[in-house]
Amino acid sequence: MDKLARQLRKDADRIECTISPELDDRIRASLQGIQPEAAQAPHRESKSFSFWWASSLAGVAAAFVIIAIVNLQTPDPVPRAADTGPTPLVVPSIHWNVEKAVLTSPLEQEIEDLQSDLKKAEEAVRQDIDRLF
Amino acid sequence: MSSESALIEAARKGSAAAFTDLVVNYREGLLRFLLTRSSSYADAEDALQDTLINAYRYLHSYDSRWRFSTWLYRIAINNVAKLKLVDTIELGDLGDEESDPLRHCIAESERQNLWQCARRQLSDEVYTAMWLRYVEDMSVKDISAILERSISWTKVNLLRGRKTLDAELNKDATDDKSKAYG
Repeated sequence: MDKLARQLRKDADRIECTISPELDDRIRASLQGIQPEAAQAPHRESKSFSFWWASSLAGVAAAFVIIAIVNLQTPDPVPRAADTGPTPLVVPSIHWNVEKAVLTSPLEQEIEDLQSDLKKAEEAVRQDIDRLF
Repeated sequence: MSSESALIEAARKGSAAAFTDLVVNYREGLLRFLLTRSSSYADAEDALQDTLINAYRYLHSYDSRWRFSTWLYRIAINNVAKLKLVDTIELGDLGDEESDPLRHCIAESERQNLWQCARRQLSDEVYTAMWLRYVEDMSVKDISAILERSISWTKVNLLRGRKTLDAELNKDATDDKSKAYG
C-alpha cells in the first residue's frame, strides 16, 4: 500500500459516523413492513398476462375500425395541375481562385513528431496503469 | 461466505431478521460513503434506509457471481443520484460549506481531509471509484460493474483521481515543510 492509499484510508476513518439506535429501529421497522419481490411474482405474472391479452384485443379492434372507416370514404377528385412547361434553370458560373493545398515536408515532419509523442504518452499511461492496478 | 449465502436464501424467503443480520456489517461503511455524497446527515440516513429497503425488496435480482457489497453499493449510488435530482429540482443547491455533512463529521485536524479535496476536485463517478478502491478495497472489475463503465475507463479514471489527490497530498507536505522552516 503506497502513501496515498494509506492516507485515503486514514482520512476515511476520520469521518465519524455511527448507526444511531433510532436509525436502527427505523430500518428494522421498515423492513418488517415489506416482503421481497419474489414472493409476489406469480400474482404479478397472471395480472400482466391478462393485461397483455386485453391490450392485444383492443389493438386488433381499433385496427378493424380504422380499416373500415378508410374503405368507406370515397376519394375526392384530384384537380389536375396546370401545364406550365419546364422552367429554365439558370446556374451562375463562379470562378474560384483557389490554389490546391500542398502538404509541405515541414508539416509532414510535424505530424510524424506529434504521432510519435502521442505514442510515447500512451505507452507511459499504459505502464502507469499496469503498475498500479 | 456460506453463512452469507444462507442468510441471502432465508431473506429471499421473507425473513427480515436474516436480512438484518446479512447487512449489519455493511451498514456503517455504506452510511460513511453516503455521508460523503449527500447534502445533509439526514439525507444520508434516508438514503441508507432506502438502499436497504430496495435491497430487501429486490433481493431476487441479486446475482451471486458478484460480491454482495458490490450489489449494495450499486443500489446506494442510484439512491444518491435520485436524492440529488430531487434536491436540484425542489431545493436548489444546498451544498454550501456550512451544511456540508462531511465537514461536520470529520474530526478537527490541522491537515484537510483528502476526501474533502476529492469531492471538490473529482467528478462524482471518479470520486466513487476512488472510494470503492481505497476504502472498500474493491477490485477494478467490481468498480466497473458498479459504475456501469468499462474496465479500461475505470483504470484510466482511477489513475487520474490518484494524480489529482497525489498532487494535493504533496502540496500539503510542501506547505508543512515551509511552515516548519519559517
